[in-house]
Amino acid sequence: MLRLVTPLSQDQINNLKVLDNITISGRILTGRDVVLPKLVRIIENNGFKDLKLSLEGSVIFHTAVSPAGIGPTSSNKVDIESSIPALSKAGVKIHLGKGSLSRATVQALKEHGSLFAITPPVSALFGAKVRKQRAIAFLEEGMEALHELEVVDFPAIIAIAHGQSIFDQGGDRHEYLI
Amino acid sequence: MNISYKGVIEEVAETLVSASTTFRPDQIQAYRNAIDREENLNAKWVLETILENAEVAAKKRLPLCDDTGIPHVFLDVGNNAGLPPGFFKAVENGVATGLRRLPGRPMAVLGDEADRISQSAGLSQDPADVSLAPIQIRSVPGSLVQLTVLMLGGGPEIRGKTQRIFHKHSIDVAIEEMVQWANEGASLLGCLPCVLAFGVGRTNIEAASLALEAMKDGNFLLQNPLEKRITEAVNKAKIGPLGLGGNNTVLATFLKVGPQRASGVRVVSLRVGCCFDPRRATLTF
Repeated sequence: MLRLVTPLSQDQINNLKVLDNITISGRILTGRDVVLPKLVRIIENNGFKDLKLSLEGSVIFHTAVSPAGIGPTSSNKVDIESSIPALSKAGVKIHLGKGSLSRATVQALKEHGSLFAITPPVSALFGAKVRKQRAIAFLEEGMEALHELEVVDFPAIIAIAHGQSIFDQGGDRHEYLI
Repeated sequence: MNISYKGVIEEVAETLVSASTTFRPDQIQAYRNAIDREENLNAKWVLETILENAEVAAKKRLPLCDDTGIPHVFLDVGNNAGLPPGFFKAVENGVATGLRRLPGRPMAVLGDEADRISQSAGLSQDPADVSLAPIQIRSVPGSLVQLTVLMLGGGPEIRGKTQRIFHKHSIDVAIEEMVQWANEGASLLGCLPCVLAFGVGRTNIEAASLALEAMKDGNFLLQNPLEKRITEAVNKAKIGPLGLGGNNTVLATFLKVGPQRASGVRVVSLRVGCCFDPRRATLTF
């Protein structure tokens, strides 16, 4: 088990490979269907500095944050997966979620030196891993707002790294989503 | 039925909380069996973690998953039973009370029809606004009323479908297509191992209703030959827990075949349920 603390360096990312077991500690961001495309549009329109948010070396967890807890949502939903290339380019080093991603996304992750990690949806256990949480942007979206969590030893497995994907075993299954 | 309006609310609320926080004994045993036969260490870790999550959720009455799901209620009404006035309103209030108590995830979309489709008018902060789906009713012998609450998460809704198949008068052809659908869904569903629920009916509506009935009645340890055949066929793909590979892509298949019409067509409804499915609990009046 490799223990990572955010923010992550490119060297740390380069040393990780698929099926590595990791834990993540420190501050991580959350976002899903609604806010990730909004974040991408802001980055593309050069409005990012107004958010007072650093993505360099960051982890984005694809989850809602609500009184019911946290847990990964499907990362291959179109709003989420389509945001991964631009967010990787902007400095996100680990996208944390669940489900297979397309070959095009695998390539984009490789190009920007970022990884995709997966974690089981065990919300009853995750509560003990979260020390603090606060909504920091797009508050009007409620549970889908962009949150910052402070986590300790959050468990995950690297699923996509450096052009390799655990989901390749059965070919590119992403075509079925459309 | 001899129960007050408030009594129905309270019992339905507690049943919803149980459905959302508790694995049933057959479900726990299915996970233990899967852990025993799993050879992939990462996959085994996922299965053990899901079981540990269920133990903590039951002990602390926490949601198994943060996607607490859309509440569905299934009623088996005895032919000799009478439902008191206000019963359905009490069930609705019981669901709302249960969602606040759990608490459910506040994910009801606000606004008019266009707003609700595009999610452009925000979300309600009240978990109770995640309203009850249309109730399903069956007539059964006896004088009891059995009420089952099922909580249906969002991931499986992306992977399920209801569509016709051409059976060519062969069960093998029908099963082959059903297995193909399940493989397609399972390969994209993150929350594996999954539980497949199939309904086979004469119309799209009937098939979907039968799939829900299959989820209401299914037992992980009582699998008929068709259910076993589908489970074993999908497990051959070795997608495995979370997609990590291994022997356990599907934990069980729940199949309900209704009456059919003379035709080369069968309407099949599939829900590729997640690793917590079916989240259900039953109470008897």
